[in-house]
Amino acid sequence: MKLADALQNKKEQILSLWVDRTLDSYLEPGFFKKSKDKFANPVGVNIREGLTKLYELLLSKAEQAQYAEPLDQVIRIRAVQDFTPAQAVSPILELKWVVKQVLSADKDTRPLLAELDSFDCDVDRAALAAFDIYMNCREQLHKARIFELKSGNFILSDAGCPSALIRKNQQDKSQIH
Amino acid sequence: MVDVVKADKLARSVVEGPTLMTGSIPRKSWMDIPVVFKPGNYCYPTNPATQGYLDRQPGVSFPNVREWNPEDEDWKLQENWKEIIINGLAERLDKFRSLKIFMDCCVRCGACADKCHFFLGTGDPKNMPVLRAELLRSVYRQHFTLAGKLLGKMAGGREMTTAIIKEWFMYAYQCTECRRCSVFCPYGIDTAEITMMLRELLHLVGVGINWALGPVTNSNRTGNHMGLTPQAFKGNIDFLCEDIENLTGIKITPSFNRKGAEVLFITPSADVFAEPAIFTCMGYLLLFEAIGLDYTWSTYASEGGNFGLFTSNEMMKKLNGKMYAEAERLGVKWILGGECGHMWRVVHQYMDTMNGPPDFLEVPKSPITGTVFDNAKSTKMVHISEFTADLIYHGKLNLDKSRNSHIRATFHDSCNPARAMGLLEEPRYVLDHVVDNWFEMPESTIREKTYCCGSGTALNTSEIMELRMRGGLPRANAVKYVHERHDVNTLACVCAIDRATLTVLMDYWVPEVKVCGVSELVGNALVMEGEKRQELDEGLRTMV
Repeated sequence: MKLADALQNKKEQILSLWVDRTLDSYLEPGFFKKSKDKFANPVGVNIREGLTKLYELLLSKAEQAQYAEPLDQVIRIRAVQDFTPAQAVSPILELKWVVKQVLSADKDTRPLLAELDSFDCDVDRAALAAFDIYMNCREQLHKARIFELKSGNFILSDAGCPSALIRKNQQDKSQIH
Repeated sequence: MVDVVKADKLARSVVEGPTLMTGSIPRKSWMDIPVVFKPGNYCYPTNPATQGYLDRQPGVSFPNVREWNPEDEDWKLQENWKEIIINGLAERLDKFRSLKIFMDCCVRCGACADKCHFFLGTGDPKNMPVLRAELLRSVYRQHFTLAGKLLGKMAGGREMTTAIIKEWFMYAYQCTECRRCSVFCPYGIDTAEITMMLRELLHLVGVGINWALGPVTNSNRTGNHMGLTPQAFKGNIDFLCEDIENLTGIKITPSFNRKGAEVLFITPSADVFAEPAIFTCMGYLLLFEAIGLDYTWSTYASEGGNFGLFTSNEMMKKLNGKMYAEAERLGVKWILGGECGHMWRVVHQYMDTMNGPPDFLEVPKSPITGTVFDNAKSTKMVHISEFTADLIYHGKLNLDKSRNSHIRATFHDSCNPARAMGLLEEPRYVLDHVVDNWFEMPESTIREKTYCCGSGTALNTSEIMELRMRGGLPRANAVKYVHERHDVNTLACVCAIDRATLTVLMDYWVPEVKVCGVSELVGNALVMEGEKRQELDEGLRTMV
């Protein structure tokens, strides 16, 4: 059996393990794993969709630029959740472990483990792209904070009391005279 | 056997602590997982000057004024803090029958568990409404039920500790009181009111957030959240009128604090101050001019929003009272309210028993169509979307939808108008008549089941931007769907907090989509007598 065929044949098994382990990074993953409704379960469904598309792109030897969309679908979510940067992007790297786990469990595919170098490289490239996306998301968050400060909403909590300002003004004047 | 990288080894090379690579996520009982405060997951505590000012005001109490930091071990609570909390809870159980019922009647069916946008965005079980309520219920059981007093933890009780105070602070401020969970509760438990009680109890020991008490202070002093003085408030509206004249050739000279006007108009102050809300305000101004409404603005009751709702019932009452006091002072017949969210919750659910009924006002009647708004018979306050829909229904507005041809809209039901006052059809009816292309988001994300913007109840502060983005994910996810499917480029809503916070939310999740108020689209489409309108490719937002 060729490696490409094995990765195709074991697709469901690999994806299932990969998605489950990724969703296990949440404190209460049961609902995220179970619900298939995209609107009731945006985290679970988007992560499942993103990882599935990414896996298909890896199998089809797609151009790296094509990874961006499914990676964004996953990483944009994890970039605003309670993860360290490493935890946020680690699911991508973990695909290597998942693939090895699945292939080594079957004696027919076990010999293919030695041929995984190229696939592993592609996964590494995807992980690096994921890190770029993560940083871009974080940058956006900080820009959003600056936008809010610039838009003047800070007045909400930092506005001076008008009567206090008048008093201060009078004090200043009396000091001058 | 091939030498596979060991998952736990790889994980350690990446980061210490729980990671998915180790699979070592702690699976402990929720009671045994302490909260950890770190930058980005909590709102800044109240500025002592702000809290001190409020504590000195009559009728409200905000004790234990001090500098404190949620990241510190010691929160500098009063010595007898525990007694204060337990007495405070006893007092509230006695005063609010609803709280007593909510504490007793939950059967843990789990219907609410997966309905909260904060749970859906975080996967944190304490954001399940049932568990968030359990944070209080466990203390209630311990101290106020026989089973709890006898059996303690075995009966689901918990002795009150400072760790619980910290937990309350964390999760009472990861709830926007949007009430989506309540829609699904077979017992009708209003989890928002449990959050309100948690916040009230926390205020008893001086634990509150600046973004709530700042606007409350400003409203108390100058009449609005922004702290705008009467002069600045009037100046901003005059400025908007100048813009309208430049764009449309229509000159508008609104009145302020005018005694004897028929209608007092009150809207969130953000509408006269912040983008993109100012375009909604321009829509109101144009609409009132088009129909010749006899109305006045007030520079004292210059805020529709009421952050008292997110603070304490006494504070809510006081801020709500100023609107009616001003209506009485000016001698108007009734109040017309702008596109605000929680103002309507306060008016519809609490106003009558707090400050009402305002018998000095008349049952609202549209001077243009003669329609009597019986639904507002008690509160004497009509929503701008109801008012506009009635005008359209009676053919009183000349509308040209092609003026919104640059818009492909969807409609976000703002939580409070939708769930607290049932305002579902009117904004849709208005949209049908002012824009050619608008599309509904999926059924499970709109109307009574609408998802929150993720930043309500004074959580629209920038230090918790990540939290807001994950809380707003379910909403943004549905917008993304209609953007991809129908090329939607505009998210219309009827709430000022939405207009500000959804703008930031869209920038992160669906940057192609802009946010507007429904009245902005009305203003765009209005054909006015005597207008000298420029080519407005982007409606009232066009730069000329």
